[in-house]
Amino acid sequence: MNLTCIIVEDLQVAANYLTRCCERSGQVEVKGHFFNVQDALTFLNENSVDLIFLDVEMPDANGFELLDQIAFSPKVILTTSKKDYAYNAFQYNVSDYLMKPFTYQRFIESLQKIQPSKETISANSGSDHIYIKADGKLIRLNNDAILYIESMGDYVKFVTNDNKKYITHNTIKNLEEKVSKQHFLKVHRSYIVNLHKIDDMRENMLFIKGNEIPVSKANKADVFKRLNII
Amino acid sequence: MSTTFSNNSFIFHEQIDTQSISDLYGDDFPYIEEVFTTVLGEYEMLAANILSSYGRRDKAALKSAVHKIKPIFGFAGLTGTQHQFQLFENLCQDTTSFESLDEPFKSLQDSLLRSKLIITEEKKKLEVFNRDRS
Repeated sequence: MNLTCIIVEDLQVAANYLTRCCERSGQVEVKGHFFNVQDALTFLNENSVDLIFLDVEMPDANGFELLDQIAFSPKVILTTSKKDYAYNAFQYNVSDYLMKPFTYQRFIESLQKIQPSKETISANSGSDHIYIKADGKLIRLNNDAILYIESMGDYVKFVTNDNKKYITHNTIKNLEEKVSKQHFLKVHRSYIVNLHKIDDMRENMLFIKGNEIPVSKANKADVFKRLNII
Repeated sequence: MSTTFSNNSFIFHEQIDTQSISDLYGDDFPYIEEVFTTVLGEYEMLAANILSSYGRRDKAALKSAVHKIKPIFGFAGLTGTQHQFQLFENLCQDTTSFESLDEPFKSLQDSLLRSKLIITEEKKKLEVFNRDRS
């Protein structure tokens, strides 16, 4: 299993079928099935998951209201029979729609949309450095040398432990997929930090060699999860 | 008239889309029986919501109730009924007068009753079929 999920769905037959698809795939562990938004929210206040299968039209609330209230940003696959949620889907980073009932093949295609390819994972986990284009050349930066990466619109700034700054054309969203997951974590829509370089954390701020980095509400749970808190 | 499953092992009611059933569940007949049982377990409440919202002349509630039951038919292979309910849901969305729903609702209500009978009958047949095979 490499993903955890919950199912928010008030139709029993649909939830059962989805659970069966998850089990059959061997890729997704179902942590819970909730018939209403409130119960799902209670669970998510105490637990984190990678993925939510979400029916939008729930009896007690709109499914998107759940996403408004949780403190992290899981992947979301809508399980619905309506296609007119495009605007909300964009806002909430919805990965895919599954129209009920869907085939197992369609379910697998949906999973493939949210999982990085094996080649990508392998490349990321095996590499201790990256190359960036800056100052008209390719510059090698060791993971251990990077303190954090900051968004500057269409550019990003790499700040290193020798206090150098490299500006290159890229985005935080793109880099989040490409940098080593062992070392780096997105803590804010404008910041990726090297987890090994954090000196301390106060309220919603991280401190790295005197630099203050904001932590967004949506990413805070992920930060706590990755820090080695005893 | 009934239609035959792809491996000629079970004969479904003619209104059940055997290809759809095959696509969803393969030839896992015990699971198909389980699906039909679950569908029937939810059917009463979902159908009651439709009838009560129609009785109250509440268009939004009726649309929502029709939307909610719609996938149930798909899970049972009643793809034609699912499509009919989709059209009615669209009508609820588009129309401004509740009166324009009255005539199509009669047909919807007929389908609601007929579909339950079909699912009930198929579930019984599946029980016998699975018992005989075990």
